[in-house]
Amino acid sequence: MRPEFYKVLQSPILWGVLLLAALLPFVLPSYYLHIVILSLVYVALASSWNIVGGMAGQISLAHSLFIGIGAMLSTALLLKLGINMWLGLLISAAISAVMAAMIAWIDYRFRLGHLSFVLITMAFAEMGGLVVEGWDFLGGASGLLLPRDTGHFLDFQFGGSHGAFWVMLFLAVVCVLVNVAILNAPLGYYLRTIRDNENAARAIGVDVLRYKVAAMVISAVLASIVGTAYVRYLTFADPYLLVSPVITIEIVLFATVGGLGSAFGPALGALLLVPLGEILRGQLGGVLPGLHYFIYGIVVIAVILMTPQGLLPLVERLWKRRPGAVAAAEPPANAAR
Amino acid sequence: MAEFLQALTQGLLIGSTYGLLALGMGLVYGVSGVVNFAHGDFIALGMFMCLALYSALSLDPYVSIVITVPVMMGVGALVYRYLLRPMVGHKFLMIVQLTLGLSLVLQNGILMVFGGQPARTPSAVESRLWIVGDVVMRVPHIIAFVVSFAMAIGLYVMLRSTDFGRSIRAVHQNAHAASLMGIDVGRVQILTFALGIGILAIAAALLLPGTPIQPTMGLRYTVITLLVVVLGGMTNFVGIMLGGLVIGISEAFGTIYLSDILGMLLPYGIFVLIMLFRPQGLTWGAAR
Repeated sequence: MRPEFYKVLQSPILWGVLLLAALLPFVLPSYYLHIVILSLVYVALASSWNIVGGMAGQISLAHSLFIGIGAMLSTALLLKLGINMWLGLLISAAISAVMAAMIAWIDYRFRLGHLSFVLITMAFAEMGGLVVEGWDFLGGASGLLLPRDTGHFLDFQFGGSHGAFWVMLFLAVVCVLVNVAILNAPLGYYLRTIRDNENAARAIGVDVLRYKVAAMVISAVLASIVGTAYVRYLTFADPYLLVSPVITIEIVLFATVGGLGSAFGPALGALLLVPLGEILRGQLGGVLPGLHYFIYGIVVIAVILMTPQGLLPLVERLWKRRPGAVAAAEPPANAAR
Repeated sequence: MAEFLQALTQGLLIGSTYGLLALGMGLVYGVSGVVNFAHGDFIALGMFMCLALYSALSLDPYVSIVITVPVMMGVGALVYRYLLRPMVGHKFLMIVQLTLGLSLVLQNGILMVFGGQPARTPSAVESRLWIVGDVVMRVPHIIAFVVSFAMAIGLYVMLRSTDFGRSIRAVHQNAHAASLMGIDVGRVQILTFALGIGILAIAAALLLPGTPIQPTMGLRYTVITLLVVVLGGMTNFVGIMLGGLVIGISEAFGTIYLSDILGMLLPYGIFVLIMLFRPQGLTWGAAR
C-alpha cells in the first residue's frame, strides 16, 4: 500500500467534511434529506462499479444483477423464510461474489473482446431481470414489501431516514475508500495494466484471471450490500427499479461523467447528477410528463461535450490553477487517464 | 410440425427487419467507431412521426416514409455534426454516454409531445393474412421481409460499386489513408450516420403495422440491435443479416414453445452461447 492511502485516511479535510455531513439530518428538511440519501446510494454504487469499469476497464453492465440480488434476495429470505436480514445480506453478498467470479472466469476463459463483454454482461442482466419477474419467491413482477422500519438494529432496521442516512454515508465512504485503497495497492496497478494492454500484462506475468476475478468480486459484494441497505430504506423491493438495466446505465453515467478510473470521480458525478435529476423532477415533474428527463438529458449531453475527459480532471486542473497554488504541485497520483 | 413451421417463418420474417436495424448500426460503427445507444429511440421517433402523419393527413405508414426518411436523415446528419463529431478521439464510453443522454432527450421529447399511452397506427394491409399450408403469415411481416432483404442487397451493391460506397469502405479500412487519397472523411462519416438513421425510418414503418407503440420502447430495440450487430461481427453484412434471423427465430421459438419468462430468456441465452463459442460472431472467411 502506498503512503497516499494513509494520507487520504489521515486527512483532516476528509474527516471534517464527514463530521459536518453526519450532522445533516438534524438541519435538512426531509425532502432534501431524501435527495442526499439517494445521492449517497449512487455514490456508493458508482464507486463500486468503478473498480471493474474504471480501473480494470471492463465495461460490465451486470451491476444490476448484484444490486438486485442484494435487494430482492435478502428481502425474500426475510419474508418467505424468516431469515434475519443481516444474515440475508451476507448470503446475498456471497451469491453475488460467486456470480461475479463466474462472469470474470467466462470473460477470461473465452477471451471476450470489449464489446462482447459489454453485451454478454448486458444479456446476463436482462436474464436476471426476467428471472426475478418470473419467480414468485423473489416477488415476481409485483415486488415485495418489507415490514415497517421500527429501529431494531439487530433486525437490520435503522429507524427511518436519519438512520438510513448514516448507514448510506458509511457505505458511500467505505466504497470510496476501497477505491482509494485499490488504486494505491498492487491490485490497482495490476488492474490498470490489464486495462491498458491485457496481452502485455499477461506477457510480463500478471495473473490476469486472478485480478479480474478480484476486481469483479469486490465490486459485486459492495454493490450487493448497498442493494440490501437501499431496499431497507425504500421498504418496497421494486424489480423494475432494482433489477433493471436502467439502474446500471445510470451508475455508468455518473461514473463516466465524474471521471472514470479515479477514486473520487464517480462520487463527484453522482453527487452532482443525482440531486440535479431529483430537483428537476421535483420542480417540473408535475408540469409535463417527460420534461424533467428531457432537460436532464440535455444537461448530460452538454456536460459531456464540455468536459469529454470527465469532471474530476477539470476540477483538478482548476484546483491547481487556484491563486496561491504551489507552482510545482505534484501531479495527483490517482488521476484518471 | 405445423407449429414448428409457423415459428420458423415468423422468426425469419421478423428477423430480417432486425437485421436491417442492425445494418444501420454496423455501417456507422465501421466508419466512425460510434455505438449509438439512442438507436432504438430513433426507431421510436420514426414510428411516432408515422403516427403524427397518420393523425394529421391520414397517410399510410408505408407512404409516410417519403417524408420520414429525409427528415430523419437530416436529424441524423445534425446529430453527428454537432454532437458526435466533437467527441472523436475521446473515450469510447464517453461517446456511449452521450448517445444515452440523446436517448433520454428523444424518449422524453416524444413523451412530451404524444403522451405515454400506447398508440397504434393503422395501415391498409394491417390485418391481411397470407396462408400457405398450415402456416399463417401477416402481410406486413411479408412486406417487412421483402423490403429488408431488398434494402440489404441494395446497400451491399451500393458499398461494392458506387463511389460513395467505395469511400465508405475506404474510411472503414483506414481513415487516415482514405483522407490522403482525397476522401473527405468527416463528410463520409456524417453521410453514413445520416444513412444509418434514414434506414431506421424505413425499418420503423416496416415494424409499425400491428405494433402498439410507446415512447419508452426504444431501449428494447437498442438492445435487440446491439445483440444482432455483435452476433454479426460488427461490420460484416452477411453476418449481421444472419444474426438478425437468429435473434428473430429464437424469439419466435421462445414465445411459441416456452412459457412467458423462459421464452423471453431464450434469445439472450442463445446469444450468450454463440458468443462464447464464436466470439468473432457469425462470420466466416473474409466476407468483409
